[in-house]
Amino acid sequence: MATYDLEEQEQLAELKTWWQQYGNRITSIAVALALAVAAWQGWQWWQHQQSAKASAIYSGLQQAAEQKDTKRVKELAGELIEKYSGTSYAGMGALIAARIQVDQGDSKNARVQLAWAADHANDIGLRALARLRLATVLLDEKSYDEALKQLVVEPPAPFAARYADVRGDIYVAQGKPAEAAKSYDDALARIDAAAKAEEVARHQAYRELVQTKRDALGVSQ
Amino acid sequence: MLDSVRNNKRIVQGFLVLITIPFALWGVESYIQNSVSGDEVATVGKVKISQQEFVSALNQQQERLRVRSGGNFDSALFDTPQVRRQLLESLITRKLLTQQVRKAQLTVSDGALVNAIASIPEFQENNQFSKSSYETALSSQGLNKELFEARMRQDLAVQQLVLPIAAASIPGVTPTGRWLSIKLEQRDVVEAQVPSADYINQVKLSTDAVKKYYAEHAKEFELPEQVRAEFLVLSTNALLTQLSVSEEEVRARYTADINRYKETESRRASHILIAVAKNAPTAEVTSAKAKAEDLLAKLSKTPGSFAALAKEYSKDTQSADKGGDLGWFGRGLMTKPFEDAVFELKEGATSRAIRTDFGFHIIRVTGVKPEHVKSFDEVKLTIADELKRELGAKRYAEAAEPFGNLVYEQPDSLTPAAEKWKLPIQQTGWLSKSDKLPFPLNNKKLADALFGEDAVKKKHNTEAVEVSPGTLVAARVLEYKSAALQDFAAVKEKIENELIHEAALKLAIKDGEDKLSRLMKGEAVDMKWSTSKTLSQSNAHDLPSQALQAIFKARADKLPAYVGLTSHNNGYVVYRITALKTARPSQEDSESHKLLERYDQSVTEEEVAAWMGTLREQFPVEIKKSALEKR
Repeated sequence: MATYDLEEQEQLAELKTWWQQYGNRITSIAVALALAVAAWQGWQWWQHQQSAKASAIYSGLQQAAEQKDTKRVKELAGELIEKYSGTSYAGMGALIAARIQVDQGDSKNARVQLAWAADHANDIGLRALARLRLATVLLDEKSYDEALKQLVVEPPAPFAARYADVRGDIYVAQGKPAEAAKSYDDALARIDAAAKAEEVARHQAYRELVQTKRDALGVSQ
Repeated sequence: MLDSVRNNKRIVQGFLVLITIPFALWGVESYIQNSVSGDEVATVGKVKISQQEFVSALNQQQERLRVRSGGNFDSALFDTPQVRRQLLESLITRKLLTQQVRKAQLTVSDGALVNAIASIPEFQENNQFSKSSYETALSSQGLNKELFEARMRQDLAVQQLVLPIAAASIPGVTPTGRWLSIKLEQRDVVEAQVPSADYINQVKLSTDAVKKYYAEHAKEFELPEQVRAEFLVLSTNALLTQLSVSEEEVRARYTADINRYKETESRRASHILIAVAKNAPTAEVTSAKAKAEDLLAKLSKTPGSFAALAKEYSKDTQSADKGGDLGWFGRGLMTKPFEDAVFELKEGATSRAIRTDFGFHIIRVTGVKPEHVKSFDEVKLTIADELKRELGAKRYAEAAEPFGNLVYEQPDSLTPAAEKWKLPIQQTGWLSKSDKLPFPLNNKKLADALFGEDAVKKKHNTEAVEVSPGTLVAARVLEYKSAALQDFAAVKEKIENELIHEAALKLAIKDGEDKLSRLMKGEAVDMKWSTSKTLSQSNAHDLPSQALQAIFKARADKLPAYVGLTSHNNGYVVYRITALKTARPSQEDSESHKLLERYDQSVTEEEVAAWMGTLREQFPVEIKKSALEKR
């Protein structure tokens, strides 16, 4: 048997008391860490699985949209929202479905899809877009106050021009040319600001469109 | 109401083209991030765009443009700050999208990937995916299979990502309807001119007005400095004319390069096409075939009727007009079955019905040029030319440096250089630097030298400047006139006229505005009104766009309505809107349809840009301006 000198024995004894004092705690931390890593990996794996399944449904939705199969579009978009609401595909699918439904005159379902996406889509840009399109659908349904209410929510800055534009459209429909003019002017100012900041001319066609709507109001600056 | 998917497909495709172009071109390395750090041109979120990546993108873009524009390509024209900025912008877009794909955890299944690859025509043989053509196509592009597939997967994921943004816009019936009726509205308008010419008699200039103007605007009347110069051009072409090559040299080149003068077999053929799609139902195919057999029967009875039958029956309208003639072609230009038939037949013979992707063809071979070698006599002039050109380029290379030295060492005359290389000295007329200078002085470096102190004051030769590859020019000032103020007498009349016109215009505008306000109050005003024109936003007749805009901007709830406008050359114009026709837009007519499409497209573009903007907020983009300008 090995013999330890005094100093070593002392160290050993110290180590033992230290282990008695902290051993349990260290073990439990190690276990907890291992569990956390395992859980994290499991979560990742599960998410990936979910995403892969959702992706397949989304592909189907894409095809159904191309074939204008409204019924199938509705089913698949519904499935995405019900079973895979945590994935990005749910919001994306809702936006596609809404457009197809609007084209087929089914604004009621389009509204439901858009309202869901406006609150629950994973991406902030997509939520802003869903809200904007929801406002347009409401405008077409003549629910002007409801439509305006959607646009009260402050959008991410890049969407501000488009929001102001649709606000203008709603005011026109309500027969409020002065407010409409103000909204269009706001949109134009934001388009100009964006064009200047980006140093890339790409808003030209859209600007003309808003300007045309603005000019036709017959309200002076 | 809108033909959504089909229309928007184009937008999506356009968008994808924008982002796939950089990809397709320099491909794979853009997937491998952060290869070099420290010299990045831009940072997108956590990803860097390295100087190397940017420059190689730039080079490839230039190469592409060079190929497209043929020989005369000036790379400097396509390497402007805007071009660089735009290229960088598309790189950034790509990086933003790939990061968003990762963040959103989008996945593309193996099945979807396989389908996408199998549907690419370049990888198909007889409309079926073929593994061997896939591999050949990739290796001919120098692409590795794994990386190509990773790239496709990435592209498909990006497609998934942008679809809800770029192909699902909801522009709304209400806004588009209103926009449509604005765009289609018509206004009947008559106009009355208030020409400034009518007011010239009323203008009284004060006695010193002209003199005062001359004194205050002296700069306008300054004549710039001018030179008269002579110059000498040393170029491959100039040297070429002094050269001659012997017949032996030409023959030696012909023998050495004999392979270049071999021509492969080419044939001329006519055809009649009975069209039937490649995947048409059997019934259609059978009936097409029967029709072809019927034509063959007619042909065997009257072989001379081929051209007439082609004109009547062939669905290939371009060739049908020419009696089915397709002209001369070699191998590799027509689809395989067609080519096989043409190259098997004897001259004058007619084929059976040949099936291709386009339908059934009846082919007659009308000419055969077998493989042959061009004779020496046929090509000797071309070869002599080529030899001369090579020799000229060599002479030029040899002469360039001594030429530069000689004009520098004997600065008071171009004659020594002219005599040495037997070049003509040419002279110019009077030139000023601000004019558009004639060739070869339209080179900035040369012009600067010619108007520089050394050239102007000492009358020294300029340095020899290479104004374009293979062309050196030295110039020398013969005479010089310094800048000078024009005499008052010489410009007096011109100033007077201008001042009178200006004052008359002011009077016309004042009177025009006065008349306009009286008209608007409903008073009768004596004016000469034109005949009525019906205007719409898309039909301005010959009105300036400014006027059209003002007319449609005017409130027209009470008619007649009036608009007045200054026209800077002529005076003032008053427009009277007499009638308003609101169009009843219907989706059927093509103009409305086009307008609606445009609305949808503009809105989509804006929404895509806005959405990309939100990506920029999540993955901050930083551009290093200094790195962007480096080459």
